[in-house]
Amino acid sequence: MMSLDPRIRRAEPYLSQITEVQLEPLGHWPTYEVFVQRTRGGHAQHVGSLHAPDPDLALVMAKEQYARRSQCVALWVVPTHAILWTSAEDEDLFQPATDKSYREPQGYLNSRERLEKYRDRLKPLS
Amino acid sequence: MLENLQTLILSLADDELFMGHRHAEWIGLGPILEEDIAFASIAQDETGHAQAYYQILTDLGLSTPDEWAFRREPKAFRSAHLVELPNFDYDYAIALMRHFLYDAAEKVRLQALTQSTYEPLALLAKRLQSEEKYHWLHARTWIERLGRSTEEAHHRLSAARNLLWPYAWALFEPLPNESEIVEAGWIPPSRTQQAEWVALIQPILEPVGLWKAPPTEAEISQCLGARHGVRSPYFDELYAEFTEVSASEPDADW
Amino acid sequence: MYGNLVVRPEDIANWGKKVQEEDPVKLAEFEARIDRGEKIEPHDWMPFEYRRQLIRMIEQHAHSEIIGALPEGTWITRAPNFRRKLALMAKVQDEVGHAQLLYSAAETLGKTRETMINDLLSGKSKYSNIFNYPAKTWADTAVIAWLVDAGAIINQTTNAKGSYGPYVRALERICWEESFHLKYGYDNVVYLATGTPQQRAMLQDALNRWWRPLMHFFGPPDTQSVHTEKLVRWKVKLATNDEMRQQFLDMYVPKIWELGLTIPDPILHKDPETGKWVYADPNWEEFWQVINGNGPCNQERLAVRRFAEENGRWVREALRPKDAHYVTPLA
Repeated sequence: MMSLDPRIRRAEPYLSQITEVQLEPLGHWPTYEVFVQRTRGGHAQHVGSLHAPDPDLALVMAKEQYARRSQCVALWVVPTHAILWTSAEDEDLFQPATDKSYREPQGYLNSRERLEKYRDRLKPLS
Repeated sequence: MLENLQTLILSLADDELFMGHRHAEWIGLGPILEEDIAFASIAQDETGHAQAYYQILTDLGLSTPDEWAFRREPKAFRSAHLVELPNFDYDYAIALMRHFLYDAAEKVRLQALTQSTYEPLALLAKRLQSEEKYHWLHARTWIERLGRSTEEAHHRLSAARNLLWPYAWALFEPLPNESEIVEAGWIPPSRTQQAEWVALIQPILEPVGLWKAPPTEAEISQCLGARHGVRSPYFDELYAEFTEVSASEPDADW
Repeated sequence: MYGNLVVRPEDIANWGKKVQEEDPVKLAEFEARIDRGEKIEPHDWMPFEYRRQLIRMIEQHAHSEIIGALPEGTWITRAPNFRRKLALMAKVQDEVGHAQLLYSAAETLGKTRETMINDLLSGKSKYSNIFNYPAKTWADTAVIAWLVDAGAIINQTTNAKGSYGPYVRALERICWEESFHLKYGYDNVVYLATGTPQQRAMLQDALNRWWRPLMHFFGPPDTQSVHTEKLVRWKVKLATNDEMRQQFLDMYVPKIWELGLTIPDPILHKDPETGKWVYADPNWEEFWQVINGNGPCNQERLAVRRFAEENGRWVREALRPKDAHYVTPLA
């Protein structure tokens, strides 16, 4: 084929000889999940996944796919199969059923009011 | 004196320019998306390094980086033949082996340049080291793995090594007037750099069976002349493509 | 309760399951979630039709990116100065990167990357028609980077308001990266438009050839489009083809005219009463011809991707871990 692309012309005749391609399962390797720490002091955050054959190459390739154009001080990779997570059906696990304001600062708004009332009761006696 | 400095800087810059260009031929055609992306960064880095080296000459009142890259006659280039070689048959073994051999040389070169008495070079080298660190990490990670993987991979890498071997040694062809350049403290002798380069690549290639004896003087001589203006047989086609658009309207702004 | 995500085989096998056959309670909860503006995540219950349509859409988008890297990639080695060469390398690299992000997003729905690529290479899955045209000259890359990317951005910012979490996250990053593409493309066009007579002529010629494909870019007119109520309800399709086309014309026709370029459409104008752009029929017959394989570059585009995959096979096989097993990516 007479391509307008000199790179493609250079790949001939080999290129035109390839007529059918079938990738097998895992032909593009298993996946790793990528975490990026943007600044010192910040949390490492999940940013996506990539296909890699081992952790070292996962890190090498993740650097360019996930930190090439954005700020990064550290990069983590984890094989996808090593991650466990809660199912969608169990999202309700995270919802409290009873009033838990005893462990929030907002649960303690009345202390001052009680003290004022007490001091008011004492006033006529003094 | 200026001519010697120019030769030195053009050797460095022209190597980077065409190495980046050859690497860039792979963008969109790589063996897997993730590696395509990584290799494209290396191509950009090298191209940017070339521009930065030329800028040193520009700051001395000479041509702009675009003029250096796009408007020179062949014999005015100082690029090693290694970087002018095409991506034969789009063989990724050649791409990786060349990248490995070249970036090892770059690592040695840059480290040496950080001690250069010519301050702009020393400062630039220091800056470029962080990108070069990634190139070296990338190159040796790939070679170490592919070298001990399948028979096919090993066979391809060996063939690539055989093809590139004398060209890689020729990277260290002494510069014209090298004794003056060394005397000025701009860069250590080529032979010294070469020895450091060998010490860097041998411990990586040997364990994966990809080391072999250095090429003979006769073999290397086929690849020499680069630093004196002798271009490889591949240069004309390379440069015609490189300048196809810029030469179509030499005085235009793009 | 805790565990790896397993996409059930029946999620993929049951493509034919109609919406009416879905569990009505789950469907109502699903739709209520979307109505509240919440995102659907990979492990949520979802109707088969939603999963199927999203895979099709995201996969097609991914294929468009990797194929889209080819027309401009043509000109990297011939770029006329450092600035353009570096920018073009970075732009094409971004397209490959976007393909990676989008394949990953589609993978979360249960279709493997290998299957998607096989479907592309066999012709079963489609990609954006516009990339079946050749980048004949350097000016073509300027027009593509400006106007094709402009179209893509309109598409992407629209879809970024969609309901599926992974796709929305991918699109947010893609939109951010594409903003430089548009600036680069416009800068390139301006230099050509304000350059030598030959540069101006090259640019005008490129625009003349790319105009009709650009008019086809957002797909057939709404009158010819298939029923998409469910997709709108589920925030998979967020604007009609004509709406996006109008947005494109409104944003870019004045800018094209401002450069002193002509558009090869004798009646193109904005109707002052309706506020809508009126344009000549862009020959939808050509659109259907090209999308069905008869465009100038269809064969080449797929041949190049087949070549890249096959050429890289030994590399991938050499490093493939023997004990690997596949797990659907997370998010």
